[in-house]
Amino acid sequence: MTKKKKVPLFWTWVLGSVVLRLILLYFPKNLNLSSRPEVSTPLTSLRRLAEGYWLKQSSISPYAGSMYHGSPLLLTLLGPLTVTRIEGQPDHLLCSLVFVIADVVSAMLICAVGEKLQVAYSSSLQLLGLRDLSENSELLPSGDFAALVYLWNPFTIVACVGLSTSAIENLMVVLSLYGACSRLAPLAAFGWVMATHLSLYPAILIIPVILLLGYGPDAPPRKLFRQRNSLEAGNSTVSDVYSEEKAKNQLKVANVFSWRPVVSFLFWTLLWSSYILVLCSMYVQQYGGLQELFKRTYGFILTIQDLSPNIGVLWYFFAEVFDFFRNFFLIVFHGNVLLMLAPLALRLNHRPCFLAFVYIVISSMLKSYPSVGDSALYLGLLGLFAYELKDMQFSFFLLSGYVGVSLLSPVMHNLWIWRGTGNANFYFATAIAYACFQIILVVESVSAMLNHDRTLTKLCTAMVQNVKS
Amino acid sequence: MEVRLSKLVMIILLIFLSFSVAYSSTTMHTNNWAVLVCTSRFWFNYRHMANTLSLYRTVKRLGIPDERIILMLADDMACNARNKYPAQVFNNENHRLNLYGDNVEVDYRGYEVTVENFLRVLTGRHETAVPRSKRLLSDEGSHILLYMTGHGGDEFLKFQDSEELQSHDLADAVKQMKEKRRFKELLIMVDTCQASTLFSQLHSPGVLAIGSSMKGENSYSHHLDSDVGVSVVDRFTFYTLAFFERLNMYDNASLSSLFKSYNPNLLMSTAYYRMDLYQRHLEEVPVTNFFGSVMKTIHTDSAYRSLSNKKIGTAKTRISLEQSISDSDTIILRNSDAEDQYNNLTAEKYLRDSVGQIWSAILGSTFESIDTFVCYGLILMLPLLIFSTWLSK
Amino acid sequence: MALPPRATFPLSLHLLLLLLSLLLATSTQQEQFSEELLLKPLPDRKILAHFHFQNEAPLHADSFARHHHLFPKSISQLVQKFHIKAMELSFTQGRWNYERWGGFDPISSHNAKPPGVELWAVFDVPLHQVDASWKNLTHSLSGLFCTSINFLESSTTYSAPEWAFQSALGSLRYGTLPREAVCTENLTPWLKLLPCRDKAGLSSLMDRPSIYRSFYHSQRLHLSMSSAASDGSRSGIILEQTLTVVLQPNDQNADMNHVSKAKIQPSWSLSSIFGRKISGRCVLAKLSNVYLHADRGLVAQLENLHENSAQFATNDTGPVDFRMNSGFKLSVTPERVHKELGKGSSLLYEYPINDYKDTEQFDLGLSWEHPIVWSSPHAPFYASRFLMGSGNERGAIAISLKSTEMTQGLLTNNIEERCKLQVNVLQVVPWYVKVYYHTLQLLVDERPQVLTDFVERIRVSPSEDKVSPGMMELVLQFPCEMKSAVLSIEFDKGFLHIDEYPPDANQGFDIPSAIISFPDFNAGLQFYDQSESKSPLLSKLQEKSPVLSYTEVLLVPLTTPDFSMPYNVITITCTVFALYFGSLLNVLRRRVGEEERLLKNKDASKAVFLRRVLTKLSAKLRGRPLESTPSPSSSSSSFVSPKLILRVLLVAGIAIAWQYYSQ
Repeated sequence: MTKKKKVPLFWTWVLGSVVLRLILLYFPKNLNLSSRPEVSTPLTSLRRLAEGYWLKQSSISPYAGSMYHGSPLLLTLLGPLTVTRIEGQPDHLLCSLVFVIADVVSAMLICAVGEKLQVAYSSSLQLLGLRDLSENSELLPSGDFAALVYLWNPFTIVACVGLSTSAIENLMVVLSLYGACSRLAPLAAFGWVMATHLSLYPAILIIPVILLLGYGPDAPPRKLFRQRNSLEAGNSTVSDVYSEEKAKNQLKVANVFSWRPVVSFLFWTLLWSSYILVLCSMYVQQYGGLQELFKRTYGFILTIQDLSPNIGVLWYFFAEVFDFFRNFFLIVFHGNVLLMLAPLALRLNHRPCFLAFVYIVISSMLKSYPSVGDSALYLGLLGLFAYELKDMQFSFFLLSGYVGVSLLSPVMHNLWIWRGTGNANFYFATAIAYACFQIILVVESVSAMLNHDRTLTKLCTAMVQNVKS
Repeated sequence: MEVRLSKLVMIILLIFLSFSVAYSSTTMHTNNWAVLVCTSRFWFNYRHMANTLSLYRTVKRLGIPDERIILMLADDMACNARNKYPAQVFNNENHRLNLYGDNVEVDYRGYEVTVENFLRVLTGRHETAVPRSKRLLSDEGSHILLYMTGHGGDEFLKFQDSEELQSHDLADAVKQMKEKRRFKELLIMVDTCQASTLFSQLHSPGVLAIGSSMKGENSYSHHLDSDVGVSVVDRFTFYTLAFFERLNMYDNASLSSLFKSYNPNLLMSTAYYRMDLYQRHLEEVPVTNFFGSVMKTIHTDSAYRSLSNKKIGTAKTRISLEQSISDSDTIILRNSDAEDQYNNLTAEKYLRDSVGQIWSAILGSTFESIDTFVCYGLILMLPLLIFSTWLSK
Repeated sequence: MALPPRATFPLSLHLLLLLLSLLLATSTQQEQFSEELLLKPLPDRKILAHFHFQNEAPLHADSFARHHHLFPKSISQLVQKFHIKAMELSFTQGRWNYERWGGFDPISSHNAKPPGVELWAVFDVPLHQVDASWKNLTHSLSGLFCTSINFLESSTTYSAPEWAFQSALGSLRYGTLPREAVCTENLTPWLKLLPCRDKAGLSSLMDRPSIYRSFYHSQRLHLSMSSAASDGSRSGIILEQTLTVVLQPNDQNADMNHVSKAKIQPSWSLSSIFGRKISGRCVLAKLSNVYLHADRGLVAQLENLHENSAQFATNDTGPVDFRMNSGFKLSVTPERVHKELGKGSSLLYEYPINDYKDTEQFDLGLSWEHPIVWSSPHAPFYASRFLMGSGNERGAIAISLKSTEMTQGLLTNNIEERCKLQVNVLQVVPWYVKVYYHTLQLLVDERPQVLTDFVERIRVSPSEDKVSPGMMELVLQFPCEMKSAVLSIEFDKGFLHIDEYPPDANQGFDIPSAIISFPDFNAGLQFYDQSESKSPLLSKLQEKSPVLSYTEVLLVPLTTPDFSMPYNVITITCTVFALYFGSLLNVLRRRVGEEERLLKNKDASKAVFLRRVLTKLSAKLRGRPLESTPSPSSSSSSFVSPKLILRVLLVAGIAIAWQYYSQ
């Protein structure tokens, strides 16, 4: 077992990020971050949650005012925290603490996922005989690196201090990934069900989670294993039958889809989802029941009724599109997310964790009300694949693009809304630029991963040729 | 033999004549309607309002009553805060004539003057709740004057700075009107820039149209009133009014004299009119056929005899009967809808109530409020999760 | 012989006449019309003119197709068709100045209305049909009164208050259009509802430019049912039409006063403010009176003046005869003077118009002798409303209540017990002003307070996007010694689709007035003598009703999208999506072999194209095999291949031929 390398002063960095968050929380009014449209959308705004809670306390349906569109469970959890005030402390301190804790737990889980991925990857590389590659891959502890990227990403900090509930959604997604990577079906099921319940889009993660449970963490393409297997079979040395058998078994295992974890995952999904549905139906029973709940939460997400500006492009589109075509375009835009699932799954089924990352990028980009909290998640997960994606093109361009957009977007918003010297097109332009940068990120990362696979294939075939000749 | 043949020929001739008479005489001219539309908003378009109101006053003076005038004004100038003379609109700087008067009735005002409402008025396709005073209740014997003013351009007329009426829309509406026999003759008068392009797509018979300028020309305002602060009338309407002020109800000045009275040098544009769709000669048509309301009286020896009158009467009753039938249909429909809704409501409520009772019975025994139950349920999830994870390890 | 028939003929004629009159009386029983005008000088040199027309008709069970003698048929048809129990429609321009013109008298409680159109109606139909009746009513009224009241049909404009407005009336619907213009075309049909139109009687005074030049004008139509005492069922319709105008007389004798430093108030007469005189009553009216009201403050000042001056010590006919007083002089002697009960009372001079005709016209004039400064009685609190915050993203609405001298008066009265003032607040906010009800905050005397200490009842009906406005009804209890209170609530500004903006979108959107009422107080005036003919105006003045005041209408600018951009936005967004879709699919599609081929061809095409062709040609000519770069497959993707050239030429040829033949 290779010694696990840790980034030096890892825990200091983690503590530092927590301290930074706590310091920022004490600034007056959270630095007005909670009112920025990039941070709080109609789905993630804590102010709307407080309004929903107030309505519930006044015996009116929390969804009555078209203000709150989230889950009733979140209302139960965070609602009372929004009204409890501690003397001398800023408002919403308790909620902010919840978000800080959620961030830290997510980071720890990302770290654990990264470790698992790294261990599995290096062992599979060793199985293929690419020992120096496997040693290279262990140079950088990608889990720690990704956790630190997640904690110190300005997007994450801003989303946490700006009181956006996306911290909890991210926690659930990462929890399901961790559960899937460690083959813990109940945990994965819980994470997936909760993430889908809170915001609809993580439902597409069921594909990578099932692949993770079935095949295990990321590995090189399976045909390489088959090649290696056949090589081993053809190249039977008499020396160590036992070790040869073990190698064969390991190779076989790497190729086989194990159904047991998947079945237990599905079972636990059903269990958790029925539990949550029972709780929700009890909560909203007086106010229209589950149908009303779905109409107000999922219906709101799918029909894009609120046209407030955010960092996506759909708000302006639906403010300007002709009424006749509205439904058509709704179907097209949501279909764009769904249509990409199959090709990506076909191409990247040997790397389910990376597949999950790509799905998260796509859903963050094309969802109805994106915010920087969603970007924080995938930027953190990007760190997990630092080794495979080290040859990614346009990386500097992307970095400067992200920095530029995150600086320009508040400026354009201010010009439009507060000064009145700009108009909506300015802000929309930054949103388009942001979408373009995200597209470049996803396309280039997929391309880089596929290139990495190709180099692996080349190396393997070269090795096979060498052995043969 | 010859006699029989000649008799046959005469019979055939008679039949033919009767048919042609039936076709050519169509219906009698029975009433006059006027639809006067001002499509501009904002104070600096005062002159468009003054144009429309000048026509309104003329048309009323020459006999058309308020019930048969549909006046659409897109903004309120008379009681506008910028009007130094409240409740008064002038079209001349001598302020001799207050166009607003004491008895003005505006049917569509403000934000209601839209392309949709305009086309609904023309075609008669309104919702059932729209009152009679807002409908153009013309029939096949009506002569309609349609006057539009505002800002326009090549093949369009701008409504309230936010939408446009295109020439083919207008042509389609007129075609619908002709199909539904909503007019006998229609005179369209447009006072905008490039006005004659607006009726370039018309192709229904019985339509006469005149515009204040041709394609590529602008229509200009007449003069500026320094007291009110804006231009108060457009040239085309000014000279139209100059023509009508000399008339009273009984004059029989003809349309051709009106059309020929426009001097391109004074108008600074060419008033172009289109009579290819109009069968009659303009010299024979008195202006009061459109701008006034002078009935041609036919003296009969006994009342209620005239054939064409009866036809018109039946047509009218047929139309009103259909309307009333559709009204009652919708009423019945609405009632049944409401009843259904009510029944559904009660059924749902009953179901919900019974389920709610069961739930509350279950819960009432254990916890005092649902909220705390849900809260406990949430908190319970965590140990469940840990337990299940530990189990499956 | 002729005498007996002559004697009997008149008798039978009398009998016939009696029978006829009885018949007439029973058939048009109690259909009455009365017209009254109330004039009142206001403290800030203006004059209030209040026209009151009341028309009553009995309601019979079979009276759907009944003829009416005086009552307008359109109104009775409206009542029958929509089963209206009560309705009020008002058209107003201008803002009632509560500080100067008073807030406690019945005129300001009933006739100070919010700008634009206000309509409320109570229906007598089952609950699920009320909305449909409301919709049809708005359309009918828009046709009847030449307005665009039909905009009130959509559910985003009206609301259903329960107890903060007109309490205990059942299915009430309330809507306002703050931006509706009011002009002659609204007055014309309103006047046509009167039996004498505007041709005779008091309504002939209504000179349109004078009315629309006023500081405040409000025409109001109020429908209610009168109930017979016996079974409580409706027995008749009462139609009350009022026009309230606040005018400024021309200041003719501006420079004739050198007496005191306070300028004397301008004198006025009916002809000077309306430009016309009353030339007779409407013959169909049962009652036709003109009143002049001197309110409490003025009377108190006059009494002070009277006490101070020694002139009229001898001519002491009592405080009743104020025609000869030192304050003002009236050009016509009033027939009757009504005095209000209690001390500090107001006076009402009555002038019946029965005897005036064309030759002898009625022109009441008032000329001030002495400068008098007084103030009208105020409501317990001045209510005003304003917006807080800047920018187009969020803001706050604040309702402020300031105590007046009336609350001070209350305080001095009850010292022993805790004196409490009840204030009802009704506020309707359109859906695109998204109010956060949990931010409702109360500041009493500039100190934040816990809401539950002062709020007795609260009912919130939150707005739903594009469906209904948000409505808030509050009952607050304040201590009398409070100086000021501010109730604030925060909101976010919504974003609308481009079709939902009006044509002048940059003006902003209106939040309708809030209604503040003080149910503890009664805005009625009790007068001494109850004359035999019941004057409707007097009964209205004496009616018990709570004190009502309306706040200002707020103008909220909403940020607008670019209206000229729909095609551009659609195109750009779809391009972005296509970019994403296409490039991602392309990346996924690429195969290993193709990558290598592309790389190799990149190397291959380092040599210049022409040179390659030349070398190929020379190799062919020389018959030597060309040392070609290894191309894996025959279908090599060199940039320009002969097959490609052939294909391009073929397509071009077909295109040219097609073009040639289709012309």
